[in-house]
Amino acid sequence: MSDRNSILTVEVMDENGSTFTLHEVCERGECHAEFVIKLVNYGIIAPLEPAAEARQWLFDVAALARLHKARRLQRDLKMNLPGLAMSLELLDEVQDMRREVERLSRQLQQLTDE
Amino acid sequence: MDFKDYYAVLGVSESASPEEIKKSYRKLARKYHPDVSKEDNADEKFKDLGEAYEVLKDPEKRAEYDQLRKYGAQADGSFQPPPGWQSASGFGGGGYTDADSRQFSDFFEQMFGGGQGPGQGAGGFRQTVRMRGEDVHARLALFLEEVFNGSEKQVSFAVHEADEQGRVIARQKTLKVKIPAGMREGQHLRLKGQGSPGYGGAAPGDLLIEIELAPHPSFSVEGRDVVVTVPVAPWEAALGATITVPTVGSKVNVKVPKGTSSGRKLRLKGKGLPGKHPGDQIVVLQIAIPEQHSAEAEKLYEQLAEAEKAFNPRSKLHL
Repeated sequence: MSDRNSILTVEVMDENGSTFTLHEVCERGECHAEFVIKLVNYGIIAPLEPAAEARQWLFDVAALARLHKARRLQRDLKMNLPGLAMSLELLDEVQDMRREVERLSRQLQQLTDE
Repeated sequence: MDFKDYYAVLGVSESASPEEIKKSYRKLARKYHPDVSKEDNADEKFKDLGEAYEVLKDPEKRAEYDQLRKYGAQADGSFQPPPGWQSASGFGGGGYTDADSRQFSDFFEQMFGGGQGPGQGAGGFRQTVRMRGEDVHARLALFLEEVFNGSEKQVSFAVHEADEQGRVIARQKTLKVKIPAGMREGQHLRLKGQGSPGYGGAAPGDLLIEIELAPHPSFSVEGRDVVVTVPVAPWEAALGATITVPTVGSKVNVKVPKGTSSGRKLRLKGKGLPGKHPGDQIVVLQIAIPEQHSAEAEKLYEQLAEAEKAFNPRSKLHL
């Protein structure tokens, strides 16, 4: 494939990276603005300036990725919003803990090896 | 073609009631959802579950499937649909289900596809409506060395696009991507326009890559800091010493202060993850003793024990 031969330079998405408007996240998440507003109200995703009016909200790529995840969970597991909010929080916690356990067990391994 | 045993996929018996099937599906769907499960083949398992449930939850399709199961299995374990087989329930016509049948297996397609392509139901709609292409998510694991130096990586992912007949198909796409130095775990990269193509002349989606860090045998990463445990000899810890410690891709000399306890941390400014605000390298000192001491060394330790009688290493434990 020709795609494979050309090297693409990527755009790093961080605090200063590009942002998406409410309209853009709706288009990308294939959902209505009401759904995004509900996710924000439930604290599932947050715009960069939460105090602003919904029309002026801007979301970073992490929020967009979370919106996609919320949509998948809602569609596949038929979850309601409070359940979705709690699941995503618990999943974050589980992920952090898994990383921590991995890190600690590696450290432990090093200590016992020496 | 391989036969798919939907009852085994859902972990239920052939005589299971619709309630049992629903219950088992719900439980397994939670377990194997790719956003929840960490198992390597969760994606595949979740797809199989959806497919199995799609057939078994519907009495008409289930009855057809049961028939196939009975008459289609060959002696060698392979599967051939009975001659003249055609599904009465059909699937490709659209409106029959909200499941994403693009994901289902060839077996499903052959048995319940009804001769039409998957996703066909939406075909006409897609032709006339302008719709932005899907964003595609991918994960990419980087070695710590690649995080430090930047790297060129090949990324493979599937995009959804329409073929000549307007059917939605999954196409594997591979790109060579230049990853800048200093990426952190969980950070995203965007490749504009590299997601699924748009419909009706609308813009394509983006490819969003989430960065993961592959575990390193010596170094671990905490935020922007790189942590490494370095063993020191008891006399180096007691007397102080200059030792060589590894950094990612190089090494530096550091001074171990006199009277260092095990677990003491030294901070090497700016030797952590590179970037506008580079992290530090944290060196955790660990006192190591030789597996065997010489008789002379043992004698010296005995002298040391005598000289340091007043020291109680367990005073904090009130012992």
